[in-house]
Order: sequence, then structure tokens, then C-alpha cells
Amino acid sequence: MEQTTYLGFIPLLPLAGALVLGVMHVATCQGNRIAEKLYGILGCIGPVLSFILALKLFFSLKGLPAPDRFLTHEPFTWFSVGDLTVPMGFLADPLSSLMLLFVTFVGSLIHVYSIGYMAGDKNFGKFFAYLNLFLGSMLILVLGNSPLVMFVGWEGVGLCSYLLISFYSEERENVVAGNKAFIVNRIGDLGFVLGMAFLFWGIGADGFDYLSLKANAHNLTPALGITVCLLLFVGATGKSAQIPLYVWLPDAMAGPTPVSALIHAATMVTAGVYMVARFSFLYIEVPVAGTVVAWIGILTALLAAVFGMFQNDIKKILAYSTVSQLGYMFAGVGVAAYSAGIFHVFTHAFFKALLFLGAGSVILALHHQQNIWKMGGLKKKLPITYGTVLVGSLALAGCPPFAGFFSKDEILFSALATGHTGIWFIGVIVAGMTAYYTFRMFFVVFHGTPRDRHSYDHAQESPRVMTIPLIVLAIGAGFAGFLNFPAIFGGHQQVSHWLAPSLAEHHPDAGLGVEFLAIGGSVLAFVIGISIAYRKFFGGAEEPVYRGFCKFAANKFYVDELYATIIVRPYRFIGKAIRQMIEPYITDAPAQGVPWLYRMTGWVFKVVQVGYVRVYAIYMVIGLSIMSLLISQSLNL
Amino acid sequence: MIEHYLFLSVILFCLGILGVISRRNVFIVFMAIELMLNAANLGFVALARLHVSMDGHVLAMLVMAVAAAEAALALAVVILLHKHKGKLDTNIFSLLRG
Amino acid sequence: MLEHIISIMIFVPIAAGLGMLFLPLGRDASRVLGLAVSVIVVLLGLKLFLSFDGSTGAFEFVEQAPLAESLGISYRLGVDGISLLVLMAAALLFPMVYLLFKTRPRGYYCNLLIVQGAMIGAVCATDLVLFYIFWEVMLLPVFFMIGLYGGPKRIGATVKITIYTIAGSLLMLASIIYLGITYHAQAGEWSFDIARLSSLSLGGGVATLAFFGFMVAFAIKIPLFPFHTWLPDAYTEAPTATTFVLSAIMAKIGVYGVVRFVVPVFEENLARYALILACSGVIGMMYCGIAALAQKDFKRMLAFSSASHMGIIALGIFCMNIQALTGTLYQIVAHATSTGVIFLLLGIIEERMETRSIDDFGGVAYKAPVFAAFFAVAMLASVGLPGTSGFIGEFLIILGAVKFNPAIGVLAGTTLIIGVCYMLWLFQRVFFEKTNERTETFRDLSPIETLTILPIVVLIIAMGIFPQPFIDKIQPAARQQIVSVTPAVPAADEAVAENTLLIQARN
Repeated sequence: MEQTTYLGFIPLLPLAGALVLGVMHVATCQGNRIAEKLYGILGCIGPVLSFILALKLFFSLKGLPAPDRFLTHEPFTWFSVGDLTVPMGFLADPLSSLMLLFVTFVGSLIHVYSIGYMAGDKNFGKFFAYLNLFLGSMLILVLGNSPLVMFVGWEGVGLCSYLLISFYSEERENVVAGNKAFIVNRIGDLGFVLGMAFLFWGIGADGFDYLSLKANAHNLTPALGITVCLLLFVGATGKSAQIPLYVWLPDAMAGPTPVSALIHAATMVTAGVYMVARFSFLYIEVPVAGTVVAWIGILTALLAAVFGMFQNDIKKILAYSTVSQLGYMFAGVGVAAYSAGIFHVFTHAFFKALLFLGAGSVILALHHQQNIWKMGGLKKKLPITYGTVLVGSLALAGCPPFAGFFSKDEILFSALATGHTGIWFIGVIVAGMTAYYTFRMFFVVFHGTPRDRHSYDHAQESPRVMTIPLIVLAIGAGFAGFLNFPAIFGGHQQVSHWLAPSLAEHHPDAGLGVEFLAIGGSVLAFVIGISIAYRKFFGGAEEPVYRGFCKFAANKFYVDELYATIIVRPYRFIGKAIRQMIEPYITDAPAQGVPWLYRMTGWVFKVVQVGYVRVYAIYMVIGLSIMSLLISQSLNL
Repeated sequence: MIEHYLFLSVILFCLGILGVISRRNVFIVFMAIELMLNAANLGFVALARLHVSMDGHVLAMLVMAVAAAEAALALAVVILLHKHKGKLDTNIFSLLRG
Repeated sequence: MLEHIISIMIFVPIAAGLGMLFLPLGRDASRVLGLAVSVIVVLLGLKLFLSFDGSTGAFEFVEQAPLAESLGISYRLGVDGISLLVLMAAALLFPMVYLLFKTRPRGYYCNLLIVQGAMIGAVCATDLVLFYIFWEVMLLPVFFMIGLYGGPKRIGATVKITIYTIAGSLLMLASIIYLGITYHAQAGEWSFDIARLSSLSLGGGVATLAFFGFMVAFAIKIPLFPFHTWLPDAYTEAPTATTFVLSAIMAKIGVYGVVRFVVPVFEENLARYALILACSGVIGMMYCGIAALAQKDFKRMLAFSSASHMGIIALGIFCMNIQALTGTLYQIVAHATSTGVIFLLLGIIEERMETRSIDDFGGVAYKAPVFAAFFAVAMLASVGLPGTSGFIGEFLIILGAVKFNPAIGVLAGTTLIIGVCYMLWLFQRVFFEKTNERTETFRDLSPIETLTILPIVVLIIAMGIFPQPFIDKIQPAARQQIVSVTPAVPAADEAVAENTLLIQARN
């Protein structure tokens, strides 16, 4: 057996970094500050070392024969009550090792980028502490060998997401956005917890880690299977921003841009997809649940794409595109094409991180201007950003042969091949819309004439510490797709083969015609989308005034307002009613009633207490007389 | 014959009660109480005579002793009351009013 | 010394408290005396925890001496897995109070000492009458502390808590007497030993009344919905140390009482009314959680928050499986630490800013990062974030509740959401947003205060990561309670049948 202790160090290193940075920050934030450079270096050590360990892990897994590709490390029993035994254990298999690789890789790059982006912020140290904490939690999520250990990371990333969204906590809106993210995530987490509970009572008695659960999955009754799968998916909708819980992600853009890149694009939000893939052994048994997942996913993709077409804030556009792409991923894992879904997670991490970081570069150059209608013509001013964002946009829009094309096509092909024609059709439409809104943003920001002269003149390219990560990511976004080069073009689909031992998936067999239909549809959609965007926005366009449906879509169908009306306000109202009505007048009644009773009785009796001795004497006489009468009667005198 | 004694005793007792109830001067009230005690004494003595027993006499003597002790104490109290308020009207002292 | 360790832990604080009452000590002297005694208790408690074995689930450190032999009342103490963690909460948390609140009158510290001794006594007593005595003794200092040192509306609050708890106590006393008489009738001798009473076979309406007598007494203390109304007033008006004692420890003794005395004795009634009681727990959790969101006074808000959590903790008892019960016992100490830290920190804030209105705060995190960090950890434990102590218990209770009744389980799960709503809102309003002229001058914790709270904060995290050492100590005893409940129903029926036969034979 190979030494696997280093598995534990992968999450531990960033966590230790978080602790050190946090203590340093708290100890010094009032008085003399520590140099940013020190924070930056300390902050980057953990992620980079984790990445190196992840590489080591990857190669040691690669050295094993395919069916034995899993390593576990269980340092201690977390807790054990009755039949429930939860080891604090880590499981490295092809799936988690792939996730590890790109999470640590993209994470390290974003850490480096942040040194430039956050320069001069008074909470520089805190930011890196949070980022490290986030990365550690994410690695626990990925490496956990049981649903409960995964849940530790799951909630940990939720917490960091909250902390980082409300990072600029002096502004109320940011904190409210953070609260919203945490609370909505918690709604999902409720589903996750209940899913785990039902799963445990179904098949958990023989061990609650993935390997035991997988071995016992066939013992799950169908009803319980559907319950568990759907409840777990509720968890996924919360974390991965799907209908109906997607509302937090666009608001989450209140955080610093590297956070949006790391958490709300590349890593945390994909946790739901990862979780469904992790539980593929359950979902494969319950196709109904898979269909629900796929439909929710593709509808989310459509809805978010519609919203994305009418946004003005560069980060909001990217946020909705993230929601939309996550929808694709769920459509993929929903139709049981788990490796396709995970592959899209993988490529998406590169190009979406790239786009966000590019947007961050633009935002920084324009002194925190985020409205695309105040930008324009930045191509000359920000050449590196321009080039890298172009690569990212092409990848997002699904232009062959960029990364996004292959992964998206894989999903759409699987949907078509498994007979989900409706999902495929919507997917193609969304692909067109994606191309449209991506290049709408791209053209408006980088082409045409500057709309705001002043900020244009002051714009300058970001420092190297920011542009180098952009370039590295652009290389990834450009070429990552070839890792899973489809067989139809003579490729080997290395990623799918690599993932195969972890996933319970059977590849659909479909004719060449279906493959060509899928690819043709995607390419056509891309061409149509980009050409409309080119015609409308390339030459420069002014901020449109939305009317009718467009206004409706620009206001996100008023879903936030709807939630506020049917959930938030009644909730607050009940609370207020309890405080003002129920507590003082109803539940307090017994406590107030007893003293009231005594007081009333006293009030009755006080009438006779006049205070004059003579009157008391009368009472005494009357009493004595009555007593005498009674006694004489009872003695029959 | 005994009824006469007892009637007298009851009448004296009732007069005593009336005195306590209707008069406001502390001294008169006090005298009325003494009257009631002596009414009881009269009853005791008369019944003792009837039954040819010394118990009633003993009780009467005891009551007289108590009355004497009470007189000593009560007069002291009355003096204090007078010092306190300057009057001997019982209606002034109504601290127990509810 | 080890054989009398519990007695020492009970009577050293009580003796010190009574002594302090009569000695003409100044404030500082009485505080130092209190601190010294509480540190002694901490050391003894740690010693006891480390020497506790727990693998058998039996009572350890048993002490016994007759009190009233003719009635079978005896001075009987012991610790098992059920009482261990409650005892630890009562033993370990007190030094913080003496270290954080320095300028209080002598009577304040003296009451604290007495209440600590009495609470330890109540937790360790295994004789019902002895338990009742300690139970009453532990309530008295609370009345005094609220009535003497509380806030402006303290009298009303004191009246309320007194009425409620005394009413509960009297019902419990009646039930205890009933149990004693029943035992005398069935076994032919007097005893109030809980181990013997649990062999009673109880049936009929009077037993149900006695069951509710106990339940109401404990439900008031916990508090379970709808007996919670004394709580917001009492917690709000009480001085911080009392709120801390009430929420962190005394409420847990209510839960402990149910587990210790109601579960083994009234297994049949408990099984029959478990669903209603579980509903009461869940409704209380939701009701108080929603009410917390609407409060303007943070102490009041946390009072509701505490009540909300106690609903979930109590729910764990009624689910009657090992996971839920262990979860409850674990959550007792987890909640004691987290809520204790929260109340103490808010006590500090209240003292320094002289206001409790949430609207008066803002931006405390920038002025006091250590304070904010500690509060954040305690808050996260209180909302049950994995990695903190709060998660383990909460998860086990939800898990058990799902097994007990899926609908109850789902409703219990909403605590994850409800808790986070009001806590984040509080955190936002107090610690985030902009500072105002009031918070501008807020001082961070001093080094001594930091060191005082740090161990508890570390404990919160350690208990989230390494819960198993604690669970190992409580699980055997918890398992015995469950075993005594589950197969008991048919056995009890047999016993009743046997009894009727006996009675007929006698006639």
C-alpha cells in the first residue's frame, strides 16, 4: 500500500495558511501593518504546494491499473454513533484527482492575480486568509470520502463565499448579497442534509463512505432512491445556482473580482455537478431523477442566457453566463453523461476564470467601472487583456476548436444520443444566445469608440502579476478541449477514459449522423449568435432602452421581487407579528394572568378593609354570631 | 332564677359590644371591653353558684387578673397613641385601610 | 479524594458562597474568592472527566449516605455518560464570568457560587428527592440575581420566571411523591433512587398526570414551546452572568432531567406522547427562530435564538434512537459553549456601549477584530457549520428525527435555514456596515479577556473536528436509555398484568 498521508496535506496546507494569515491580520490590523508582499507570498504557498501534491497524486494514480485507481487516507474516525460511522477520510480517485488538479491550478493562479488586483486594500491579509480558507474547504469537498466529509467542505465554501461576497462590508448591499448567498445556499444544504439522512437510513449502516455506499446502492428501494437523488439535487441547485435557487449568484458579484473568478465561476459553483457525478452510482439507478436534473439544468441555462442578453454590468453578464453554463453541466450529468458534465466543469473553469480575471483587469483599469456602456475601444489600451479575453469569449461561445466547444458539444451530443431531443434543441438555442451575449459584451467593451473619454485616457494595462495568470489561463482555455478530443475526429477522449473508473456511466452508441447533427447544430448556433452580435455592436452602439419583453428580461423577470413578496416579506411579517402581537398578548397570557388574578382578588377584598377598629369589631361580632348560630344548630339546641 | 343572671350578663355583654362598635374615644372603647369581660365574669360566677363548683370562680379570678394586666398595657398604649397623634379618636388610626 | 470528588465540587462553591454572604469582603476580594473557587471546580472537573471511564454506561464516582432512612431518601450521587457533559458545562464555564465582569457587588458573586454548586448537585443527584432539593436551590440565586442586579424591568421578569418555575417545581414535586408512593405500593419499601424507580410499572391516568408533571417542569426550564414566555424577559433583564447561566447551563439541566428521569421511568407514556412532544420541539424551534428575526434588542434576539436551539435539542430526546439521543447529549455541551460565548461577548458590548438596541451598532468588526472573530466562531457553531461543535449534534438529531418521522425530520432540518437568517442579520447590523459615533470608540478585547474566551473558542472548533472522544464517553449510557425504552412496552404490559394478579390474590 502506498503512503497516502499526503492526501490529508492537500486541504490542510491552505487551511494552515488561512489560520496563519488570519492570526497575522487580526493581530496587526489595528497598528503597524505587515507588508503586502509577505501576505501575498504566504497566501500563495499553500495553494501552490497543494497543486504540487495534486500533481503527485495524479501521477501515482496514473501508475495504477485502471480499476484500482483509488487511494484513501483515513487519519481518524470523525464520529461514530450506533450504526453511523463517519471516518474523517479522503478519497482520491480519477474524478477527485481531476477536480483537484484544476481547482488547485486555477486557484493558485487566482491567488497570484489577487496580489495585483487587491494591492493597496486595507484588508489585504484578510482577503488572502479567506481565499486560503476557501481553497482548503473546496479541497475537502473534493477529497472527502463520504458525503458528510464532503458536506464539511460544502458548507465551508459556502461560508467563505459569504465572507468574500461581503468583503467590502461597509456597504450594506454587499453584506445583503452575502447574506442572500449564504441563506440560499443553506436552503440547498437542507436538501443535502436530508438526502444524507434518508440515504443513511436506506443503505448507510454498512459504512457511510462512497465505496461502501456504491457497493450497497442496489439495495436502495426505488422510492427512497428518488427521494435521496432529488434531495441531493436540491443541495446542488443551491450551491450551483440552478432554478429555483439561482438568485444568489448574480448578486454575489458584489465581491472582489478574483473572488467571482475563483468561487463563483471556476470552483465552488461546480460543486453541485461534482456531487451529482460523485453520486452517479445512485443517479444511474434512478433515471427519473436524472431526467429532472437534466431538465432543470437546461431550463436554467435558457433562463440565464435570456437574462444575460440584457445585462449592462460586465460581471453580471458573466455571472448569468456562469449560471447558464452550469445548466449545461447539469443537463450533461442529468442525461447520465457524467464525464461530459465533468469535462465541461473542467474547461469552464479555465475560460470562465479567464473571463472574470479579464473583466477584473478591465474594471481595475477603469477604476471600478463595471457598466459596459461606459467602456469601449479598450482594445488598444489593454492589448493583453484584449487577446486573452478574446480566447475566453471564443471558448465560452463554443467556437471550435476552443475548449468550450468540445465540452459543450459532448453534452449536447449525449442528450441527443440518449433521446432527450428537447434538451438538445434548447441546448442549441442557448448556445446561440451564449455566442450572442458573449460577443455583445466583448464588442461593446473592446471595440468601437470610447464612450467615457476620461476613464479611457487613464486606462492602462494591468501589472504583470495579473497578466501572466491571464495568459496561462488563455492557453488552458484554448487547448484544454483537446484533452477530450472526440473519437469522431480521431481523438482518444482521454478525460472520459480517465474518469471512467469513478463514474457509473455507459456511453451511448449513436451513429455518425447523430454526431454530425450535434456538431453541426452547435456550430450553426455559434455562427448565428456571433454574427448578430457583430452586426449590432461591432461598430459601436449606444446603451439601449429596453421595452416590453426586453425590459422584463433585463429585470430578470422580477424573480427577486417575486421571492421577496412570497417568501421574505411574509417571513418578516410573521416575525413582526410574533413580536408585536403574539408574544405580548397571547403566549404571555398565563404569566400575566396569574398576577392579574391575585390583583383582582385583592381588589375585591380590599373594599372591606376600612382601617377602623370599630368596623373590625363589627366583623368579629358578625362572624362570632354566625359561628354561634351554626354551632347551636349543629348541636340541635 | 339563673336566667336573670344570664340575661343580665348578656345585656352587659351586648352593651359592651355596642360601646366598642359605636364609640370613638379610645377610653370609652377600653371601658366597653372591660364591661364585656365583667359580663363574662358575671356569667361564670352565676353558673359556678348553680353547679356548686369552684371552676367558675377560678376562671373569674383569672379573667380579673388578665383584665388588670391588660389595663396596664392598654393604658400605656393609649398614652403612646395620644403622644403620637394628640387625640384619642380611633378613626384617626386607619393605617390598615386597603 | 476521587470517591468524594462530586461532593467537593458541589459543596465547595456553596460553602464559599454562603461564607461570602456573611464575611465583610470587598468587591475585589469576593471576585477573587469566586474565581479561585471556580478554578478549583474546573480542575476537579477536568480530573473527573479524565478519570471517567464510561465504557459500561454505569454510574461512576458513586457516593451514598442515608438522609431519611424511613422514607428511603438518600444522598446519592453519581456521574454517567448522560450527566458527564452537562456536568462539564456547569464546571468549566464559570471562571469566564469572574474574569470578564469585574465590578459587581459581593452578592452577585455569592449567588453565582451557590448556583454553580447547586447545578452540579442537580446534575449528579441520582435520588429524586435530592435532585429536587438541588433543583430548587439552583433556582433561588437566579431569582435574586435577576431581581437585584437586573435591568430596568427586572421585577416583572423576576415575577414571571418565579411563577413559571415554581409552578413547574410544584408539579414535579407532586409527581415525585406519586412515584415514591407507587414504588412503596409495588415493592413494599420506600425509595427514590432513580435506578430502582425505573423498574416501576406505571399505568393509568395518574401515571400520565405524573408524566406531564415532570414534563411541564422540565419543559418550562428548557423551555419548550409554549412554555417559553418567561424566557425572553428573563434573559433580557437578567445581568449577563445570569443570562449566561440560564442559557448555557440551566436550560440544559432541563433537557438532562428529561433524559435522566422521564425517559427511564415513563417509557410507555413517552412513547405515546413522543410525536406531540417532538412537534412541540419543532414548532418551538421555528416559532422562536422566526421571532428572533424581528427583535430589536439583541439580548432578546439571542434569547429567542437560544429557545429555538433548545427546541431542536429537546427534539432529540423524543426521537428515541441512539443517534438523536447522542446528538442531544452532545449538542447540550456544544450549545452551552457557543451560546455561552455569544452571551458573554454581548454582555461585554452591552457594558461598554450601554445599549442593547441592534440599530445602535455597526462596524464593530473594524474596531474590534478579535471580538468579531470570536463572535463569528461562536455564531457559526450556533448555526451548525460543519467543523464546529454545533454541527455534530444538530446533524445527529436531524438524522434521528428523519428516522423517527420523516416529516418531523424535514421540519427539524429547517433549523439550518432559520438559524442562519437571524444570525447573519445580527452579524451584519452589529459587525458590518459603517461605524457610527457610538461604535467608533469601541475597544477590542483586552489580552486577559482574549485569553479568557480563547479556550472556549478553541474547544468549539476542537469539538467539531474531534468529537469522538466525547461521544465515546456518552454513547454507552445513551444506549442503555434507548434499550430501556424500546422493548419496554410489552414488558410493562406483563408487569401490569402480574400486578393485577397479585392484587387479586391478596384480596
